Amino acid sequence: MTTIDVTKPMPPEAGRPAEGTNYLNHTTGIKSWLLTMDHKRIGVMYLVSILTSFFLAGIFGLLIRTELIAPGHTIMDADAYNMMFTLHGAIMVFLVIIPSVPASLGNFVLPIMLGAKDVAFPRLNLFSYYLWVTGAIFAVAAIIFGGVDTGWTLYVPYSTTGTEMNGIIFLSMAVFVLGFSSIFTGLNFIVTIHRLRPPGMTWFKMPLFLWAIYATGIIQVMATPVIGITVLLLIVERAFGIGIFDASLGGDPILFQHFFWFYSHPAVYIMILPGMGIISELISVHSHKHIFGYRFIAFSSVAIALFGFIVWGHHMFVSSQSPLMNVLFSAITFSVSIPSAVKIFNWLATLYKGSISLNTPMLYALSFIFLFTIGGLTGLHLGTLATDIHLHDTYFVVAHFHYVMMGGAIIALIGGIHHWWPKITGRMYSEFWGRIACGLVFVGFNVTFFIQFVMGSKGMPRRYWDYTDKYMIYHVISTVGSYIMALGFFITAAYLIHSLFRGRKAPANPWGGRSLEWQCSSPPPAENFPEPPHVGDCYDFSVLEWDEEEQGYHWRHDIPHPVGEA
Amino acid sequence: MIAHATLLALLGTPSPAKIPGSYFGMPEQASTIAGDVDWMYDFITWLCIFFFVVIVGAMVYFVFKYRRRAHVADTGGPTHNTPLEVTWTVIPLILVIAIFYIGLKGYVHITTPPANSYEIEVIGQRWFWTFRYPNGAAETNILHVPVGRPVKLTMESDDVIHAMFIPAFRVKQDVVPGRRTELWFEATREGEFDLFCAEYCGTQHSQMIGKVIVYDEDEFEVVIEELARWIDKVPDEKLHLAGALMYNQCSSCHTLDGSDLIGPSFKETHELFKAAGTRQLIDGTTVAVDDDYLQQSILKPLDQIAKGYPSSMPPGIGTQLGDRKLQALVQFIIRLDEVAPDGNLIEVNRQDIVVEEVEAEEAE
Repeated sequence: MTTIDVTKPMPPEAGRPAEGTNYLNHTTGIKSWLLTMDHKRIGVMYLVSILTSFFLAGIFGLLIRTELIAPGHTIMDADAYNMMFTLHGAIMVFLVIIPSVPASLGNFVLPIMLGAKDVAFPRLNLFSYYLWVTGAIFAVAAIIFGGVDTGWTLYVPYSTTGTEMNGIIFLSMAVFVLGFSSIFTGLNFIVTIHRLRPPGMTWFKMPLFLWAIYATGIIQVMATPVIGITVLLLIVERAFGIGIFDASLGGDPILFQHFFWFYSHPAVYIMILPGMGIISELISVHSHKHIFGYRFIAFSSVAIALFGFIVWGHHMFVSSQSPLMNVLFSAITFSVSIPSAVKIFNWLATLYKGSISLNTPMLYALSFIFLFTIGGLTGLHLGTLATDIHLHDTYFVVAHFHYVMMGGAIIALIGGIHHWWPKITGRMYSEFWGRIACGLVFVGFNVTFFIQFVMGSKGMPRRYWDYTDKYMIYHVISTVGSYIMALGFFITAAYLIHSLFRGRKAPANPWGGRSLEWQCSSPPPAENFPEPPHVGDCYDFSVLEWDEEEQGYHWRHDIPHPVGEA
Repeated sequence: MIAHATLLALLGTPSPAKIPGSYFGMPEQASTIAGDVDWMYDFITWLCIFFFVVIVGAMVYFVFKYRRRAHVADTGGPTHNTPLEVTWTVIPLILVIAIFYIGLKGYVHITTPPANSYEIEVIGQRWFWTFRYPNGAAETNILHVPVGRPVKLTMESDDVIHAMFIPAFRVKQDVVPGRRTELWFEATREGEFDLFCAEYCGTQHSQMIGKVIVYDEDEFEVVIEELARWIDKVPDEKLHLAGALMYNQCSSCHTLDGSDLIGPSFKETHELFKAAGTRQLIDGTTVAVDDDYLQQSILKPLDQIAKGYPSSMPPGIGTQLGDRKLQALVQFIIRLDEVAPDGNLIEVNRQDIVVEEVEAEEAE
């Protein structure tokens, strides 16, 4: 390891490969992608696959909203509608949101943030990608061979003896395989963070994104095996009637719900924690302001991960679970709201006295705070026993989890994509269209889902293909909102794809990021860094200065660059 | 409350049905707990609005005040402050403990049926509800209850999980196979209210809806008495018309106009009966469509599944009907051309087909 001569000014180009090769072009050919063990390429493959699934499940969502624009039959019959909401939910949860941030952006950014060449187990990383692909194939098989109409929650006995659609077997297989993909990714990241941190990067010098990914990894490894066992039991129960969930054979359908939510509630935090990690980075970088309350944000991630394991029963307040259990789960549920609130307050304090730039990634980060605050606060109505009884299984719940899952996890993902797009692709997208699209998504989202709180509190049950006339006005508004949101996403897809071909070449550090991924070129070289970089305070922005010519930030000449001269 | 009453007095004569409701969109209140639930809902919502305004207000203010003017780093704000962290941890903690406590108190009340409750048995089946009263009366999809008296529903499911949800009463409870679940309420006003199935149960989940009708105590007694006995008062030659009144139990699976739903259309069955035809079964055999076949298909639907249709009709439907109602349904199918000449049910009123027994007995 070389020591850095602190007296000698470093050139801004340090760490950049001279001949202009990078991870995208140092090898070519389809095989060099499909068999790659480069975490960056695997991250890109994940990103493309996940966004494709997002597109598909988003189309399903639009079809659902279109069917609901009027009561009765609008564009599809009840069975088709039931399939639509099942697939929308299952694909969004299992193929999109759960893997989204860790597997795509996490894979790309995590090793570079650590100054490492790759994750700890590159082969396992590629294997988990192919497990994801296998899971996706099973999900498609579920649609083709028999269809599936159980809802993503797969509740028994509907899923075992209640439905004629045999696609449920394939969907269960998909969930099982995707679970292993998720476990391996989590395991890989945990080991990478433990073993591959560069010299000088102690736990409390890691970027907060890594704390979030680490906490997520713990949940992935500990909770996911339970859903694997649960769907296997479901398959055996449906195929052979072993009776573990069948009341007439001495089993218990409520047991399934306990198993299911024992995974699926922690899974909510698998979905939201990485998003929160992204927001911690975005808020700090785009304010050029040291993150406020680093340790509190870091510990709140771990607290959320741990508390998240013991609140699953709040999905079952009206299931006939014992009243004592309901009371205990309600009490613990409220405790999990505190670390989330702590994060929000710390982000606000980070903005205080910052130098806030309103570019596209920051607009998404601010949207996240707005939407996640609504999603989190409306959780209070649902955690409270007396009010949850009325609101349970109504559109209030649908609105609540869309504010958290989509307004939280997906908005953070889109914000993260915009933040790291220059690094991943080496191209800048249109800032103008980026802001327009973000505005459309934000407005469309609120029009779609805010009205659903009202509809739900008025008693409109979820998963209804048909409804009474008095709910029509709310459904019409919601559907119109979904079209606005879709327009925003189509514009996003258009300018991002356009940028790949026509976008301005991205500087190494367009936003003035301080963590290590901004200290290598855009796109990064295949091996990230020629040697382990030196680590400082990853939220100290005073070492950067604006370069007008480059339209980006570079390291101040009087301060040693973290990436030593090769 | 007092302020509200004063306001109503100032604004003129209030409609007696109007009860002060929620500020934030909860539906009409029609049970003793609804007011409490709405108070909690409104309290939490106000708290949410407060925090939302503080958080988003601070965010918008900071974004405006500290917007980037040049490509400079921050202006040197603090990076941590432990007393502040403790403050914004402890205050929300106290508030959520308070919310938990009031929610708990309400919950204990909502889930504890009074000892003197009037008991009604409920069976949830795809895709309708059956309500059975202590006097033997039974009704589909319409729950008759007295005002001002606690009512306890004891609920069972015949197939998958359903959930009884009455928004105006603010009550909901899953109905789970293999368990008996309970739900109670006390209606505070007469009228008709929505009743929904709130747990997804398949194709016709959104049609598994009904009504709660709340009567005053005397009227209620009359209604369920009539409900228990009306079928006995229908003379044999009008039984097919009684069947027409019961058809809503069948309508989610069997049409009258020949189109297919879950099960064969009654029109097709009727025509087979008229033509003394046979029906192909799923096991490859055929069966004559006669009086006996019709009865057995209702009583033991799973024994003779028509080819091309799923075996999904719950056996409980037929067995709980009783002999007279079973005959009414059989007659309904046999004489379908009279009760639904063009695929649409003719209008039948219960009063018109019932012969008052008192007169009949006296005549004997």
